[in-house]
Amino acid sequence: MKGFAFGQYYPANSVLHRMDPRAKVICAVAYIVASFLCKNTFSFVLLILSTIALILLSRIPMKVVLRSVRALIFIMAFTAVLNIFWIVDTSEGAVPLVDFYFITIYAKGIYHAAFILIRILAMVIGTGLFLTYTTTPIALTDALESLLRPLTAIKVPVHAFSMMMTIALRFIPTIMEETEKIMSAQKARGADFTTGSLGRRAKALIPIIVPLFASAFRRADELATAMECRCYHGGEGRTKLRILRYHVRDFVAMFFVALFIGGIVAINIFGRKYGWLYTM
Amino acid sequence: MENTPFIHIENLSYSYVGEDGQPIPVLKNLSLDIREGEYVVILGHNGSGKSTLAKLLNMVLDDYTFAEGKITVDGLDVMSPDLTDGDVLNLRKNVGMVFQNPDNQLVATVVEEDVAFGPENLGIPQPELRTRVDEALATVGMSAYARHEPHRLSGGQKQRVAIAGIIAMKPRCMIFDESTAMLDPVGRKEVLETIEKLNRDEGITVISITHYMDEAARADRVIVLSDGHLMLDGTPGEVFTHSDTLRKAGLDLPQCTAVSQYLTTQGIPVCGEINTPKQCAEAILNAWGRI
Amino acid sequence: MKKNKAPRPSSGEIGTDTAVASAVIMNQADHPKLRLENINYYYGKGTPFEVKALDGISLDIHAGKLTGIIGHTGSGKSTLVQLLNGLARPGEGRVLLDGEDIWARPKEIGKIRYRVGLVMQYPEYQLFEETVFADIAYGPRNMGLSEEEIKERVYKAAAFAGVGIDLLEKSPFDLSGGQKRRVAIAGIMAMEPEVLVLDEPAAGLDPQGRHTIFQGILEYNRTTGCTVLIVSHSMEDMAQYCDDVVVMAHAKILMAGDRDYVFGRADELEAVGLDIPQVTKLCQLLRRGGMPMPAGLYTVDAAQETLVRLFSEAKGKKGGGRS
Repeated sequence: MKGFAFGQYYPANSVLHRMDPRAKVICAVAYIVASFLCKNTFSFVLLILSTIALILLSRIPMKVVLRSVRALIFIMAFTAVLNIFWIVDTSEGAVPLVDFYFITIYAKGIYHAAFILIRILAMVIGTGLFLTYTTTPIALTDALESLLRPLTAIKVPVHAFSMMMTIALRFIPTIMEETEKIMSAQKARGADFTTGSLGRRAKALIPIIVPLFASAFRRADELATAMECRCYHGGEGRTKLRILRYHVRDFVAMFFVALFIGGIVAINIFGRKYGWLYTM
Repeated sequence: MENTPFIHIENLSYSYVGEDGQPIPVLKNLSLDIREGEYVVILGHNGSGKSTLAKLLNMVLDDYTFAEGKITVDGLDVMSPDLTDGDVLNLRKNVGMVFQNPDNQLVATVVEEDVAFGPENLGIPQPELRTRVDEALATVGMSAYARHEPHRLSGGQKQRVAIAGIIAMKPRCMIFDESTAMLDPVGRKEVLETIEKLNRDEGITVISITHYMDEAARADRVIVLSDGHLMLDGTPGEVFTHSDTLRKAGLDLPQCTAVSQYLTTQGIPVCGEINTPKQCAEAILNAWGRI
Repeated sequence: MKKNKAPRPSSGEIGTDTAVASAVIMNQADHPKLRLENINYYYGKGTPFEVKALDGISLDIHAGKLTGIIGHTGSGKSTLVQLLNGLARPGEGRVLLDGEDIWARPKEIGKIRYRVGLVMQYPEYQLFEETVFADIAYGPRNMGLSEEEIKERVYKAAAFAGVGIDLLEKSPFDLSGGQKRRVAIAGIMAMEPEVLVLDEPAAGLDPQGRHTIFQGILEYNRTTGCTVLIVSHSMEDMAQYCDDVVVMAHAKILMAGDRDYVFGRADELEAVGLDIPQVTKLCQLLRRGGMPMPAGLYTVDAAQETLVRLFSEAKGKKGGGRS
């Protein structure tokens, strides 16, 4: 209960941790775009290398990074299998590697499966390293508010959204703790959440959910009063204690990511032109 | 200026709107003046109207259907219908409020950002904002926790952060609405010491709402409310002599005051202002020595 | 002010060696209702954040007594309380209820929770039913009792906890804070546990609310003979209502014994930063000032009587000497 940490933020002192969160959001988006641009073996090798470089830069242990991937193993395996069996090479002279009753496997299918695996891995690890692992949720909220600010021109309540995010982040641990307390209290009155049919178990949750909602509303009410007392009147005219500032390292990072995308595009063009290795 | 009270309440009555639209009276014909720099404790049982009074001063009640009388804060008529938004903001900046549940008044996920919340709303620019936050945290003794997450702090620490959040707005008056009720003795002590320091060193007017008699014993002035009526108003020593009225208002005397009063009724003259064990012991030893 | 002083059965032997970290309330006359044997409890065991919340606790709680547990936040008292009804399981050591290990059959730990009722801190936040009656009946209903028996128990518990009959059909969410608290306490009392444990039952209530709750608990203890444990910060309340007192500090038991024993050691309590009742403090100061104050004064009534007696005796002596 006390050791609960929100998100996957992994405290360390690395270049990635110190980057401006806005630059990190931009880099993460660019990284996703780049991984989608990858089309042939060379570009995928480049993608793998860059992901490894990012892991090293972030100073986050490999074990921790792989933990986030573990949850996706099923999806990855499923996509890979799907690609292997379902992709039919219609090009001229393509000979299936295996042709056994209804199973036909082409080399193209295996390449596709491998590429997609690499793409998913790179995207998950890459965005994780830029965002969740190295950026606190609150810094992320600040970054999004700042990046989305132009949208206020078309009446999108950006400040309100970011305030909501902040409050949610602030209260998630409090409400988790409260849930635990209420569960203990009801257990002490003989509540049983673990046995019985599904319907029975769902019904057993009522004594948790009702008090939890009641308390959430009470908290919301008190918090609103407290915020009013502290002169909150929306985003207008507010200043900020923490002002986001780009540093040289942020521009360097963004430059490298841009270079990376450029490289991949170049590889794609030349790859097609000269028929380099395998192309998707 | 010297003679105009900071807060002036005149014939104030207030009722909540009940379910059927009928008024449920909470405050009845209350008149009260509070001067700048005072340390006032408002005592009363639950439901005596003390929290409503506090919220009226700060304009955070939303229904004024059954409000009568007059409240002025620093010359500003709080219940006037033609207050501007700017007036309201200025009022809330001048009269800060700390509530009972420390969890439900912290907004940000980092201590210093929470402290900055008020001044940010007031549009205080950097670098003054930074200075205010640092000074406020230093005043409540929480500088070491500036980068901590509020939910990991103890109750007393959370409450001190909440206080810092108000101080950073540079208020002239602070209202504590049962701010120690949910704390353990250590947390209570921390918060009480902070409150006293604010009053003594920073000259902030303090209005503290509580039902702890030992907290009342430390104030300059004690006001007792019961069922919306003002029952007693005076120094702790004066108020504590009215033990019957206090009991009727659902309050206890501090144990030592009770002992000394009982001894006096038994013909043992224990004199002087007796609110703490130390004062009481001195007085009794005095009487003992005179035998 | 007249305070209700209930008759207390005198305790037997009392552990006097305060140097021993875990003292035991000794009372040979009756068997311990609850016994804790060498309990260790850890939070986050095996992680770098491991904290030992209870360190070698051994303790007997006696049947039919009202026992108070005092200590700072973080001294381990809330953890201790959760061990008693099996909400938490000790890392090492045993919890014995009537001599039987409550974890002998882990699957039946639910039954232990009916025998050791726990009222958690701020229990009003656990109310959820549409009516007060239904909420108090929640525990008994989980026990599988008949409707008739449930009804009987609800009325009985409501009376003890000071919940008026007129409130039973109201929504618990429409009640005042103090009323909600009493409803929540009634909800546990209605299970008619053999041991009733209350964690800070009067926290945040005004003086009248405190008195109502403590009086109700005291009466419940005296009429039903149910063993009661109260965790509280309020030394004044503990001194007034408890038979036995357990003092915890730094995950250990600092001292345990009947209230004369514990409040007679005011200096030691103060040494670990605990408050002592104002009257006890007063008597301590008077003793230091040279008055012959006897030990063990911790209620206003007792202190007043003693002081009046001392003064009249002293006057008598003076008067006698002159004549």
